[in-house]
Amino acid sequence: MKQNITGKSLGLVSCLHCEQISQLPNDYHGEKVCCPRCQARLHSRIPNSLDKTTAFILTAALMYVPANIFPIMNIVYLGEAKSDTIIGGVLHLLEGGMWPMALIVFVASILVPVLKLIVMSILIISVHLKAHWRPAGRTHLFLITEFMGRWSMVDIFVLAILIALVQFGNLASVDAGLGAFSYAVVVIFTILAARSFDPRLIWDVIEEPQVGDHD
Amino acid sequence: MHEKKASIALENLRICHNCDLAQSIPTLAGRVVVRCRRCHSVIEKHQDNALERSFILAVTGLIFFIISNLYPLISIKKAGLTVDATLLSSSIELYRIDRPLLALLVLLTTIIVPLFSLMGIIYIFVIIKLKHYSNFTAPFFRFLRRNEIWGMLEVFLLALFVAGVKLADSADVILGISLYSFLALVLVLAWLSATIEPNKIWEATHPVKAEN
Repeated sequence: MKQNITGKSLGLVSCLHCEQISQLPNDYHGEKVCCPRCQARLHSRIPNSLDKTTAFILTAALMYVPANIFPIMNIVYLGEAKSDTIIGGVLHLLEGGMWPMALIVFVASILVPVLKLIVMSILIISVHLKAHWRPAGRTHLFLITEFMGRWSMVDIFVLAILIALVQFGNLASVDAGLGAFSYAVVVIFTILAARSFDPRLIWDVIEEPQVGDHD
Repeated sequence: MHEKKASIALENLRICHNCDLAQSIPTLAGRVVVRCRRCHSVIEKHQDNALERSFILAVTGLIFFIISNLYPLISIKKAGLTVDATLLSSSIELYRIDRPLLALLVLLTTIIVPLFSLMGIIYIFVIIKLKHYSNFTAPFFRFLRRNEIWGMLEVFLLALFVAGVKLADSADVILGISLYSFLALVLVLAWLSATIEPNKIWEATHPVKAEN
């Protein structure tokens, strides 16, 4: 026997911040209700979750282009100027025979942002299409994506450390390139996108045929 | 650590944040993780004395954080010159080369947020032990939990190794004394985030029963 009773069908809402379970008023229509414990605004679902997530993902996807085309850092070494893009940085590590490090940087700075953009897009589309396909799998995919996103910051930190370290005047110096800012925007916006996505939307359509009540 | 599946009943009600399923959780003792019946994401974890453990870890973390900021994390030597990098200098140098937004981002993720989180947990613990609650306590802890994700010291540790490897060809890379304390700090922070039980703190700061 299936006993899939959701908080929404009971008129209950669990505060996303402090877990306090409260009852929404019977005539609740989106007005402001605050958690009795932590005073956060209570929502049965994050308002406009899909629109916000889509906006963040689109911005991140747009910024992904300059982030990869423009150099993330400009290096002056022995009077010679060089630029390094994100992919270039991975290739340099590989050329130097540092393949374990190259692999880590490749995963963190190329694979994770691309996968994050793809996975979030798939999740948004699947919710739009009211897909019934493996809801638990999609929820996990979301949780993993949310967790992995932060590791993409590694490139920004490497840049900051190199700038702090390589200060030998004309002999050698490092400067941030145009790509660095765009890349930072990509990382921040994918994190914001994951934060505004409400995984409960994945499950709402699973409920619909059984409960069949109002939205 | 063993796992328990939640079941439906009216006492100890939990509503899963990831799929909205209402379910009740058993009374917990020892070291347990409770997963949602439907989507299998973690809905509750329990450990005895979690509050005290979190406090001790936060104090330990704060000590390591201070030491990590006192000495260089990594240095390079080239043509007789030595340059040091500390946690703070990474942000300062970005600011100096006219990248204020990137500098702010690095400052927030490596200094401000981690420091705020550690001090915040210590503050909350003291408040709970002294029973000194105010209307400000719970919103403060909410703010702390909500912004913890912007603390990225473990990512910075990886970046230190990557930068070291990148420079190893063209200069002498010297590991700084603070690097060891920084390593310890990252481990303590991971341990702390596995230990902390927000629910314990919520119940202690502002016990409110569900209205139904």
